[in-house]
Amino acid sequence: MISASAMALEANRDTINALNVFPVPDGDTGTNMLLTLRSVIDGMPNDTSQSANDVAKIIARSALLGARGNSGLILAQYFKGLSEAIGEESELTGEHFAKSIRYASDAAYKALPNPVEGTMLTVYRECAEIAEAAAAKNPDLESVMTIVAEEALKSVQRTPGLLPILAEAEVVDSGGFGFAVMVDGALRSLKGEEPFGREIQVPMPNGTDFTGSIKADFVDASEENDWGYCTVFAIESAEIDVDKLRNHMADIGRSAVVDGSEGIAKVHVHMEDPGQALTAGLAYGQLSNIEIANMDSQASHWASDRREDSETTQSASEKRLPIAVVAVAMGDGLSDLIVSTGMGATSVLKGGDTMNPSVSDLLKAVESAPSDTVILLPNNKNIVPAALEVHDLTEKDVRVIPTRSVQTGVAALLEFNDTVSIDENEEAMNDVVGEIGDGRVCRATRDANVYGHEIREGMAFATFNDDIVSVGGDPQFVLTKLIESKAEDAEIITVYTGESIPREQVRSTAELLEGKFGDIEIEVVYGGQPHYDYLVAVE
Amino acid sequence: MSIAVVTDSTSDLPVDIAKQHDISVVPLNVHIEDDTFLDGITISAAEMYRRLPDQKVIPTTSAPSIGTFLEVYEKLAETHDEIISIHISAKLSLTHGSAVNAAEEMMAKGTRVEVVDTQQASMALGWTAVQVAELTTGGGSIEEAVALAKSAAGRASFIGMVDTLEYLVRGGRIGKARGFVGSLLRVQPILTLIEGEAHPVARVRNRNKGLAELQKMVAEAAPLDKLAVLYTTEEDVAEQIANSISDYAPGGEAVVAQLGPVVGNYLGPGTLGLGLIRSDSGA
Repeated sequence: MISASAMALEANRDTINALNVFPVPDGDTGTNMLLTLRSVIDGMPNDTSQSANDVAKIIARSALLGARGNSGLILAQYFKGLSEAIGEESELTGEHFAKSIRYASDAAYKALPNPVEGTMLTVYRECAEIAEAAAAKNPDLESVMTIVAEEALKSVQRTPGLLPILAEAEVVDSGGFGFAVMVDGALRSLKGEEPFGREIQVPMPNGTDFTGSIKADFVDASEENDWGYCTVFAIESAEIDVDKLRNHMADIGRSAVVDGSEGIAKVHVHMEDPGQALTAGLAYGQLSNIEIANMDSQASHWASDRREDSETTQSASEKRLPIAVVAVAMGDGLSDLIVSTGMGATSVLKGGDTMNPSVSDLLKAVESAPSDTVILLPNNKNIVPAALEVHDLTEKDVRVIPTRSVQTGVAALLEFNDTVSIDENEEAMNDVVGEIGDGRVCRATRDANVYGHEIREGMAFATFNDDIVSVGGDPQFVLTKLIESKAEDAEIITVYTGESIPREQVRSTAELLEGKFGDIEIEVVYGGQPHYDYLVAVE
Repeated sequence: MSIAVVTDSTSDLPVDIAKQHDISVVPLNVHIEDDTFLDGITISAAEMYRRLPDQKVIPTTSAPSIGTFLEVYEKLAETHDEIISIHISAKLSLTHGSAVNAAEEMMAKGTRVEVVDTQQASMALGWTAVQVAELTTGGGSIEEAVALAKSAAGRASFIGMVDTLEYLVRGGRIGKARGFVGSLLRVQPILTLIEGEAHPVARVRNRNKGLAELQKMVAEAAPLDKLAVLYTTEEDVAEQIANSISDYAPGGEAVVAQLGPVVGNYLGPGTLGLGLIRSDSGA
């Protein structure tokens, strides 16, 4: 049944990802949920002699360990609920199902510091209510699940009414939809309806169509052992044979999605060598909007939970230290910067917006850190909840500094002092977290209306502490607007340039900004982060 | 029974204060290429910092010889009964060792010389010598002087905000502040001496934040017996800091002192710092 849910998620993953717009469209909810589910499937014992209770416990643990992102973590609560509800019994009933949703709802509301309505939480809660009522009337699993499957979609449909940002962006909640999709898959498996995973229409309010999805004709990704690089680009040419291009991409890569018309085609393909895809694409026309993301660590994690080498790319020295630091970051420049600033005690775990490390990844990094006392810098607000879970899973003394961005993480790391106590470090680092303003400049990956700003795909926009402050065609222009808006209160501004910015532009950007904002101390350094052209820390 | 107070040139004691308290200051040596200078005597701080950034061969320093100490002790023994000799951290310099050797020879000749390793440097050492001199001129015994030297040194702090860690690293005095080295971000490291070696205190992103940090450290250390603001090259900034923290200074005025050639060789131009002693009651 869980496998069926995974299939259902698989079939709808891109839609779910595309729904994920809040507050920056980072599009990974579907992936996060799917990877969380897969870790559950991988964790299932082959040994059938174990009791249902033991199996449920194993499932709950692997869900938590494999949880990625907020959505994954919320999903893990459901499996924990399932394990609690089944107890010693051998068969899942409608009552158990209702109980597990109730548990998931209660636990998820508690797990988040600021529960927001109109999200997966709301869907859980409303499903729990209807499931309890249904189970009281008829405790048959199929009957309860049928009612919940319907209610889940209705609940999802109502989310834009509860969360204005969803209404503005003309989407429904992605995590909630993911849950509805899973229930649908489970129900189809229960009824024996093939295929278990089917594409489900997004329940938009007023019955309109959700248009933001890429066509979800992925090959079954469960066959993939290696995702390599997710390579996305557009090809422009007067005449493109889209079918030929699609076949070509399917030949050389995996999960090829090619769509196009009227002189432009969009290619999405997973392959080991992204250069090969680009070279192949060049034969069809001019390339633009190239995006390459490394998906290896996600996929390989899923492939083998027992993999020995952790994703810690730059480890601190082997000798035992009084305190070690584990920081999450993406980008070679940021990794170097963090290691250089980390007093020889800091290791970097790869991760960020589009790749939230799982609880298990974080736990592994903490376990392999060369000290029994570890400071954990999640450096992303979606990773903070997973980081907080590590505490209960290790014998080590772990202190999580709730750094909501990598910029804040670097500022916190500057407070690190390996000669004073962990308590003093924790206090000093926590103090600085509130003093840093986070700015980001990136290009929209899809058309969206965010906080009343019409943002077209490919346009640059700047956010500051999650508010949109500037929109424009050129990232550097948007960056100067962002700094201009904060210049009055700022003393020091640090700009981390992304991988999309050529290294030689680091200096010219610094000169430009220093010339424009003489009163503020501005430091521009190479960060090499994906997705964001610039990350900005304002002190 | 009179007691002579001796220290070394790494105390960075301003000449007038040393004179006022009748403290003998034994100079260390500064070696620049083939030339040897006496710290603060044949080479001034100003001259040192003018030459420092352009030196291809890194200047080095050396402890006063046993003979130098013997000369000073013998001369003092003519007019004093006992000598207390108060020095820079033995982890940073062999000065203490030279003094101990000279003291043993003096003992053999019948003059008691007590040598104290303060585990400090600069005005944290300088103020310790001053407090001891205040005790001995008031009639304190040599035992009381030794006890006070140890207690004052324990309450003293030498804090430096350096422009770069380069001088500390190349001079081999980075100590426990090693972890501060190498950050790819522009930072101003603040260091202190703990148990005789350099320790990291904080890294700040610019001068203003650094000055604010120094002020905060003074406020936290108060009440104070002694307070000096230290600089290598920027007297005006040091004066500004002194004004901003004068409320914490005993007598309402912080002393401004220049770091001498030996200490400055390891901290470099652009260094600002503090030398202070906390009050006994506050400890």
